[in-house]
Amino acid sequence: MSVTTPAPTDERIATTSGLTRLLRRPELGALMGAVVVYAMFSVADTTGKFATIVGTARWTDSASTVGIVAVPVALLMIAGEFDLSSGVMVGTSGLFCGLLTTEYGVPMWPAILLTFAFAACIGLVNGWLVMLTGLPSFIVTLAMFFSLRGINLGVTKTLTDTVRVAGVDKVDGFDSAAKVFGSTFWHPYDYRIAVVWWIAVTLLATTILTKTRFGNWIYAVGGDKLAARNTGVPVWRTKITLFVATSMAAALVGIIDLTRLRSMQAGQGIGDEFTFIIAAVVGGCLLTGGFGSAIGASIGASIIGMAFIGIAYAGWNTDWTWLFLGVILFAAVLVNTFISKRAAGARR
Amino acid sequence: MTAIEPVPELTPPAESDSQPAALQLKSVAKSFGSVIALHDITLRVDAGMVTCVLGDNGAGKSTLIKILSGVHRPTEGELLVHGEPTRFSSPREAQNAGIATVFQDLATVPLMSVWRNFFLGNEPLRGVGPVKFLDAKKAKRICREELLAMGIDIRDAEQPAGTLSGGERQAVAIARAVHFGAKVLILDEPTSALGVKQSGVVLKYVLQARDRGVAVVFITHNPHHAHLVGDRFYLLNRGQMTHEFERRTVTREELVRAMAGGAELEALAHELEDTGLRP
Amino acid sequence: MKAPKLGLAAAVAATLILSACASGTESDDDGGSSDGAEMKLCMYTHGDGGGFWSVVKKGAEKAADDLGVELDYQESNNDAEAQAQLIEAGVSAGCDGIAVSAPNPDAIQGAMDAAADAGIPLVTLNSGASVFADLHAFTHVGQDEFIAGQEAGKRFKELGATKVLCAIQEANNIGLQQRCDGAKDTFGNVENLQLSSGLTDLTKSEAEIQAKLESDGDIDAVFSLNADIATGSALPAVEAVGRDLTVGTVDLSGDAIQAIKDGTMAFAVDQQQYAQGYLPVVLLYLNKTNGHVLGGGQPMYTGPGFVTSENADLVQKLAEEGTR
Repeated sequence: MSVTTPAPTDERIATTSGLTRLLRRPELGALMGAVVVYAMFSVADTTGKFATIVGTARWTDSASTVGIVAVPVALLMIAGEFDLSSGVMVGTSGLFCGLLTTEYGVPMWPAILLTFAFAACIGLVNGWLVMLTGLPSFIVTLAMFFSLRGINLGVTKTLTDTVRVAGVDKVDGFDSAAKVFGSTFWHPYDYRIAVVWWIAVTLLATTILTKTRFGNWIYAVGGDKLAARNTGVPVWRTKITLFVATSMAAALVGIIDLTRLRSMQAGQGIGDEFTFIIAAVVGGCLLTGGFGSAIGASIGASIIGMAFIGIAYAGWNTDWTWLFLGVILFAAVLVNTFISKRAAGARR
Repeated sequence: MTAIEPVPELTPPAESDSQPAALQLKSVAKSFGSVIALHDITLRVDAGMVTCVLGDNGAGKSTLIKILSGVHRPTEGELLVHGEPTRFSSPREAQNAGIATVFQDLATVPLMSVWRNFFLGNEPLRGVGPVKFLDAKKAKRICREELLAMGIDIRDAEQPAGTLSGGERQAVAIARAVHFGAKVLILDEPTSALGVKQSGVVLKYVLQARDRGVAVVFITHNPHHAHLVGDRFYLLNRGQMTHEFERRTVTREELVRAMAGGAELEALAHELEDTGLRP
Repeated sequence: MKAPKLGLAAAVAATLILSACASGTESDDDGGSSDGAEMKLCMYTHGDGGGFWSVVKKGAEKAADDLGVELDYQESNNDAEAQAQLIEAGVSAGCDGIAVSAPNPDAIQGAMDAAADAGIPLVTLNSGASVFADLHAFTHVGQDEFIAGQEAGKRFKELGATKVLCAIQEANNIGLQQRCDGAKDTFGNVENLQLSSGLTDLTKSEAEIQAKLESDGDIDAVFSLNADIATGSALPAVEAVGRDLTVGTVDLSGDAIQAIKDGTMAFAVDQQQYAQGYLPVVLLYLNKTNGHVLGGGQPMYTGPGFVTSENADLVQKLAEEGTR
C-alpha cells in the first residue's frame, strides 16, 4: 500500500474538518439561539440593567438551578432515556433534608450526605425498573414522579401538620452548609454560589462525555442499543449510572434551594422536569438519543434563565415565559434538524 | 448432469486433522420450548478459510449464529473452540475467546464517529490511576491505518458512521473485528442489503480477512456470493444440515440448485406444464 | 432545502428583535427607565393569575396610573424560589419600592434582607401579617383572619343562628383555622368540620357537609371559608337537606354574589383585595415622596368587609368589571 496516495486527500481533510467539524457540534444551534435571545432581551430591557454585570448575576441565578439538573438529564437523553421524576426529586430531596434536620434533629451535614444517598437510591430504583421491565423510561419515571409527589405531600403533612418544612436555619450546621450551597459572592453584584456548582457540573459532564470511555458508551447505548450490547458495552451499568446521576443532581438543587429559602414547600420542583428536557433539546440533544451535548444543555439553561429575568425586565408578565419556552423549543428543534442534516450530508 | 439426481455429498473431514478447528459444532441442537430451531448440526470452521453457511430465510441461520456468538446456548451437543469444549454464557465471553460477530445491523452506531465506532467496547485509554481518558489521537490514527490496511481510505475519522455507504460500514465492522484479534469472524448476511458493486467491495474485504489468518464464517442466502469466496459450504434447511461441499468439488450451478431445492423446482415446472399454464 | 430553513430562522430572529425594539420604545415613551424622573414601584406576589389575584393586580395598576408611577407586577404562581428570584431581580433593576406577599416568609427572607440593605422601602400584602417586621416591611396590608372570623360570628348572631358549622377545606391552612377560631370567639357554639378533599372534589365535600347536617339537627348555620366551597358544596348540601339554614362565606365569586342576590346565601366576607393591590402602591409612593412611614408598626386592614343583599347589586356590577 503506497504511502503517497493519501497525501492529496490529507489536504482535503484540513478543509472539511474546519467548517464541517464546527457545524457538526450539537452546541452550535444553542449558541446561536443564546446570542439572539440575549440581544433580544437587551433591546427590550426597560431597566437598563439586563446587559450588565448585575443583570448577568440575576439570570445566571435563574439558570443555575435549571442547568445543574439539565446537564445529567441531557446525558440521560443521549443514552436514550428520560427521567420525568427529576423535577419532583428536587422537592423531595429538599424536604428529606429539611425533615431530617427539623423533625429528627439530625445535624445539617450528615443530613445532606443522607439526602444524596437517598437520591442515589431513587435513581437506582428508576434505572433498575426501566432495565428490568423493559418499559419506556417515560412511563417508569412518570410513575415515580406521581409517587414522589404524593409522598412529598403526605409525609410532610403527617410530620409537620403543614405543607412545608420551615425553620431550617436554626439547625446545627446550617450556616456552614449555607455558605457552601446557598451563599452569594462578589458583592454588590451578588452572584449565587449555585452558578459555580453549575459550571463544575457542566465541566465534569462534558469531560466524561467526550473524553472518557464511559462517554463513548453513553453515545453508543443511545445511538443503537443493540449494536452497543453486541460490542460488549455494559448497557445496564451505563444507563443506571446516569439515572443515579440525575437524581443526585436534583438532590444538589434541592439542598441549594433549602439553604437559600431556609424552607421547602411540598410542591417545589414540580413542573421543572420539562424545563430540563427543553434545555437539553435546545442544547442539541435528540429526543431519540445518541446525539447531544452537556455544554449545549447548559446553554439551553442559560436561555431559560435569560428568558425569565429578561421578560421581567422588559416589563412583560412572567407568565409569558411559558409561551417563550414553547417557541424556543420549537425553534431549537428546527435549527437542530437543519444543522444535523447539513452535518450528516457534509460528505456528499 | 441430470437435474433430479441428488448432489453428491462428502463425508465431513476426519477428526484427527493436524490442527484442531478454530470453531466446531458437534451434533448441536437448539429448541425454544416446543419449537426445534436446529437439529443435529455438525460443522467446522478452520483458520485462513472462508466457511459459508447457506440457507434460505427461516432455515435456522440466525439461531446458528447466535449459538456461535454466545447469545444462545445449545440445548444439545457441543461447541468446541480450538478443540476445547466450551459454553459461553454471554456474547462478551465469546468475544474474549476471539469470536467476533458482525450482525446484520452492522454493530455500528450511525450517529457516532467512525473512530468511536471502531473502538467501541475496546477504547484505548491514557491517564493515571482511576482517572483515565480516551486516547483519541491514538484511536483516530489506528482507525485510519487499519481501514487503509483493508483498502478503505476514509477521509475523516470524525465523520459519523452513518455517512458511510453500506459497504464501507461493513468494512469498518470487519476491520474492527480483525484488528482486535478475532480468530473467528462470523458475518451475518453482509451482502444481503447491498447492491452489486457494494457487495463486491465487501467480498473483497472478506478475502482480506481470510488472508490475515482469520477463520471466516460467511452466512448468506445468496449462493452466488458464497461461491465467489467460500472454501467450504454448509447448506441449512429447516434447521438441519442437508449438504456439505468443499470448494473444489462443487460448481456454482450445483450450489444454486442444491440451495434452491432443485428437485422441487423441477417437479413444479413439470406440474405447471401439465396443467397447461405454461407452454 | 438548506436556504429556506436558514431564511426562516433568520426571519424569526429578525422578527423577535424588531418586536423587542418596538416594545422597548413603547415603554420609553411611557416615561423612561428607572434612571429617569418616573418612580418605579414593584409588586411581587405568590399569585396564580386567577380570579382573586387579577383583582389585586387591577388595584395596583390603577394606583400606579392614578399616581403617575411605573409599576412592575409579577406573580410566582406559588413558587417560593421564583418569588425570591423576582424580588432580587427587582432590587438589581432599580425598584424604588417593593411590595410582596409572604405566605412563606423564610423563603424570601434573604431577598428582603438584600432589598433592605439597598435602602428600598418595603410593604407586605395579603399574607404575612405576623412577620412583616422581620421582613423589614414597615406595614402589612391585608385582612386578619381571626378578626374576619369574629365579625362573621357576630353576623351569624345577628341573623339568629344558634349553632354554626365551620367547613375547613384545607387541613393545614393556619389562616382558615383562624377564621373558625374567630367565629367561635364571638359566636360561641361553633363546630369545625374538616373536608377531606376540599376544593379538589367539590362533590365529595358536598356529601360530607350534607352528612354532617343530617346527623346533627341542631346546626342551623354553615360558615364556608371559600366562595367555591360555598356555591359548589355548602349550598347544594343545604338544599338537599331541606332545612332552613343560614349560609355565609369568605371571599367572593360571581356565583357567590348571585347567590346573595337570590337570597340563598346571607353574606360573604370580603377581604377587598383590590385595596390590597392599591394601598401598598400608595404607601410606598408616600414614603418615597414625603417620607411617610404609615401604619404605626401595625398591619392595615382591608377587611373584613361584608357583601349582603343590600350591596350585592353594586358589587356584582364591579365584579364584572374586574375590580371586586
